[in-house]
Amino acid sequence: MDGEVRTYLGVPLYRPKVAFFEFTSCEGCQLQILNNEVNLLDFFSLIEVVNFREVMTERSDDYEIAFVEGSITTDNEIKRLKRIRRQAKMLIAFGSCACFGGVNQLKNRFRDLDYVKREVYGEHPVESKKVRAIDEIVDVDLRIYGCPVRKEEVEKIVLHIALGKSLTVPKYPVCVECKANENICLFDLGEPCLGPITRAGCNAWCPTNRAGCWGCRGPAEDVNMEEMLRIMKGHGFSEETIMDRLECFGGFSPVKIPEESIR
Amino acid sequence: MISQLKLIDITKSSMAEKRVGDLSRFEYSYKAEIMSVYRLTEKETLYRIQIIDPEERRRFSFTPGQFVMLELPGIDEAPFSISSSPSIRGEIELCIRRVGNLTNFLARVKRGTIVGIRGPFGKGFPMEEMHGQNILLVAGGLGLAPLRSPIFYVIENRSRFEEVNIVYGTKSPDQLLFTYQYEMWQKDDINLNIIVEKPDKKWKGPVGLITDSLREILSGRDKEFYQNTYAIVCGPPVMFKFVCNMLNEFHIPMQKMFVSLERRMHCGMGKCCRCNVGSTYTCLKGPVFDYWTVMNLKEAI
Amino acid sequence: MIFRVFEKEELKKLVELLIAHNRVVGPVEAGKDSSGIPIYAFGEIFEFKDLRLNYTTTKLSAKKYFLPFKEELATFRMDTMNWQKEINYNVKSPLILFGLHPCDINALNKLDKVLIHSDYPMPYYLAKRKNTFIVGVNCEPQPSCFCRSMGTDTAMHGFDLFITDLGNRYFAEIHTDTAYNFLKHIKTTEPCEDDHVRYMKIVSERNKKFVTYVDTTDLMKILDMEFQSEVWKHWGDRCLACGTCSSVCPTCYCYGVEESVDIDLKRARKLKMLYSCNLIDFAEVAGGHNFRPERSTRLKYRYYHKHRGFVEAFEESLCVGCGRCGEACLAEIRVPDVINSVRSNGVRV
Repeated sequence: MDGEVRTYLGVPLYRPKVAFFEFTSCEGCQLQILNNEVNLLDFFSLIEVVNFREVMTERSDDYEIAFVEGSITTDNEIKRLKRIRRQAKMLIAFGSCACFGGVNQLKNRFRDLDYVKREVYGEHPVESKKVRAIDEIVDVDLRIYGCPVRKEEVEKIVLHIALGKSLTVPKYPVCVECKANENICLFDLGEPCLGPITRAGCNAWCPTNRAGCWGCRGPAEDVNMEEMLRIMKGHGFSEETIMDRLECFGGFSPVKIPEESIR
Repeated sequence: MISQLKLIDITKSSMAEKRVGDLSRFEYSYKAEIMSVYRLTEKETLYRIQIIDPEERRRFSFTPGQFVMLELPGIDEAPFSISSSPSIRGEIELCIRRVGNLTNFLARVKRGTIVGIRGPFGKGFPMEEMHGQNILLVAGGLGLAPLRSPIFYVIENRSRFEEVNIVYGTKSPDQLLFTYQYEMWQKDDINLNIIVEKPDKKWKGPVGLITDSLREILSGRDKEFYQNTYAIVCGPPVMFKFVCNMLNEFHIPMQKMFVSLERRMHCGMGKCCRCNVGSTYTCLKGPVFDYWTVMNLKEAI
Repeated sequence: MIFRVFEKEELKKLVELLIAHNRVVGPVEAGKDSSGIPIYAFGEIFEFKDLRLNYTTTKLSAKKYFLPFKEELATFRMDTMNWQKEINYNVKSPLILFGLHPCDINALNKLDKVLIHSDYPMPYYLAKRKNTFIVGVNCEPQPSCFCRSMGTDTAMHGFDLFITDLGNRYFAEIHTDTAYNFLKHIKTTEPCEDDHVRYMKIVSERNKKFVTYVDTTDLMKILDMEFQSEVWKHWGDRCLACGTCSSVCPTCYCYGVEESVDIDLKRARKLKMLYSCNLIDFAEVAGGHNFRPERSTRLKYRYYHKHRGFVEAFEESLCVGCGRCGEACLAEIRVPDVINSVRSNGVRV
C-alpha cells in the first residue's frame, strides 16, 4: 500500500501522517477507533499512523495531523500540548474531554481545589490544576465530540480529510436522530434529557437505550437554553438534577444560565 | 382465493396512471464528461461538460436561465445555472465558484472526469417574449454566470432585438469574468458598460456601483424607450433590489424585469422544499421570476 | 361503495389470515408513560393480540412506511474516473397497514398530491404507496385532535377497506377489489337498516366529542397580512428548533440529500434524509449564507408552507389536525394556538 497514491474520481487522496496523543482522560476515545474490526484495515489504509500508544511501540514526531484526547490539568501537559501544536498542521480535539474538559472538569465546580486534592489523593498529592479544554491553551482546527467519540463519525471525518470533502458535524440537536430511531420521548417516561439542546451525531445513542441525554457532545447550534430550563422545571426536575446534566461534560458551561429561570 | 398480496412493479408499463418515463426520470443522471477546465479567476472556473450518449446529447436542450443538478458521486450534488449558449445541444458550460464541499472538490478534478447531470430544471428567461424590444442585461459579481446564456441568445438572434446594453459590475477588476469575450460582444453592436467598486492601478474604466452606470444609460431617454425595454438582472439580492428599484423609477414595467433567485436545491423537482421562498418552489416556478412576482414573494429580498 | 357487516370474532380470523401470508403493521402498544398511560406506535403485528384497534393517536405517524427517515436514493459503483449508478426504490414486499385513523389516511392523500400527482412524481414514494394495502378504522377524538376543523376527520378515499366498530359488529366500507376478495375469507353480510342507523348514531356521537377547533377562514390572506407580526417572534422564542414537529408530522416530507463514499472507496451512496424546516441550516446555501437564521422565521416558514403555499398549489392545507406536533413539542407550541394568535394578532396565554 505504501508509496502508491490512490485516487477518487481522478483526484489523488491525501494520506496524512497521523499521531494520537492523550492527556488527562480514560483513553476510551482512542479505543473506539480500534473497536471497529470490520473497517479497521480500510481505516488505517487512509492514514499513516506514526504515533499511537494504544497500538504500537514506535514513535515519531513527524506528523501532520494530531488527534488529541483528554483535558489539560498540569503544567507539563501544557508544554506537551504546545509542542504538538507547533508540529501539527491540523490539531483535532478528540472527544469531550479535549473539546470541553469532559467529566474531569466537574472538579472545577468546587471552590476549594486543594480540598478536592486532599480528598482524592490523601497522603500522595499529585500536581492537578483547574481542568481546561484544549482550546483554552492552543488553537484547535477541528472538534470531534462525544464521550466517547462515535467511531462511525471518526471514520467519516478521516475519509473526508483523505478525499478533501468538507468536514462537518450536524448542527441540529439529538432529537432529530432520536425521532428517526422511533424512540419514546424520555420526557414522556419522566426522565430528564438534554436531547433538545445537544449536538446530534451520536445517533441518539443514550435515548435509544432509554437513558436521557447528558449532553456529552455539547450544545447544538442555536440552542434555546431559556426554554429548555423552563421545560425541565415544568417537568418537575430539581435545579440540582438540571445542573448535574448541564455541567457533566462541560459543553454547556459557556452558555449563560439566567438565574430567574431556575428559581 | 388468494390472501397474499402481489408485489407491484411500478416501472412496468402496465402502470396506467403515470408514464414510466416520468418515474425513471426522477433520479436519472445523464453521464457527462468534463471536456475542458478553464480557470477564469482565482476562485471561478469554467467547466465544459458534454453528455456522453449521442442520443441523449441530441435530446438535451435548455432555455437561458435554467439550471442543472451537477453530481459527483459520493461527493455532493448541487444546482448550477447554465452559462452557455442555448443553441448548443447536449453540451453545457458551468461557471463555478469555489465556495463549498462540491465546488472545492470540483476545483481539483481533471478533464475527462465523468460527472452526473440532471435537468435542465426550472423556468428560464422568456427570451422570445423580448423580441423587438430593447434589452438591459445587468449582472453583479458571479451574476454574469447565469447572464451569459441570455447574452449568447441575444448575440445569436441580434436582429430580433433593438438596443442592447450590458451592465456589469464587480468589487475589483481581478474579479471580472469572461474578460476574453468582451470584444466579441461589443462587435455585435452591444453596449458594454463595466464598472468596478475598487479599482487597481491598471484600471482605466468607470469606478462606482452598477446603479451609477445604469442611471447614465437610462437618463434622458424618451418614454417609449422605457416602455419597450426588458431587463434581465442577475446578482446577489441586495444588488438586484437596488437595480430593480432604479428601473422602476424610470417606469420600466416590473413584469419586464427578470431576476434569477439563488437557493440551494437538493432535488430540483419540487419535492425537498429546500429552495422554497415564502412557500414558492424556486426550482419549479423559478429560478427566474419577474420582479412583480418577487415583490409578492415573502422573504425573497 | 360496497358495504358489509361482520361479527367481531370474524376480525380475528381476517387478521390472522393476512398475517399468515403478508407483512402486517398496525397500532401496537410501545410502552407506558410515567403516569401509566399507554403509548402507541405503528409496528409489526405478529399475532392478532398485538393489534390495538382502539388506540389513541400514535406518537409517530405512519409516514415512515412511505417516507423513511433515511433512504438510499442511489448507489454508485466507482471506477477510476467513471462510475455506474444503481437505483432501487426500496420496496421488498407488499405491506398491509391495518388500523389507520381517517386523519392519517388523509395525510397520505395529501402527500399523494405533491409526491405523485404533480410534476416529477417520486417513484420511491409511489412504489411504497402502490404496495401498501390500507385498512382504516374509526377513532375516538382526543383533546388535541382538530381534524374536524381541517376537514380531515373522515376519509373518503386513499384506503382499501375501512371498518367502524358498531359495538356488536364491524361495519365495513370496501374500496378495492383486493379488499373485497380478502373479505370473502370471512363471514360477512349485507348491512341491514339497523346497522345503518347504528353507524350514523356512532358517527354523530363521535362528532360531538371534538373539543379543539381552529378557524381557517381566509387563513391564506391573514398569513400574508401578518408576515411581519410580532407573534412569530413570540413563538420563535419558545421554539427549540429540534425538528420534532416535522418528525412526528404525517405530512412533512421535506428532505436533504447527502452523498457518502464507503471507506473502501469502492462504492458511493446518495442518501435522502427527512429534514425539518425548523432546523438551523434548512435554508443555508453553499458559502454559508442562511436565508432563515432566526428560529422565528423558520417556524413561520413551516406555517406558510402548510397553511398557505400548499393551499395555493393544491386547494387544501398540508395539515390534517392530528395534533401530534403539539403533543410532541416540549415547548408546547400547538397549531391551534399559533393560528389563533396570528388571527387575533396577539398571544393569549
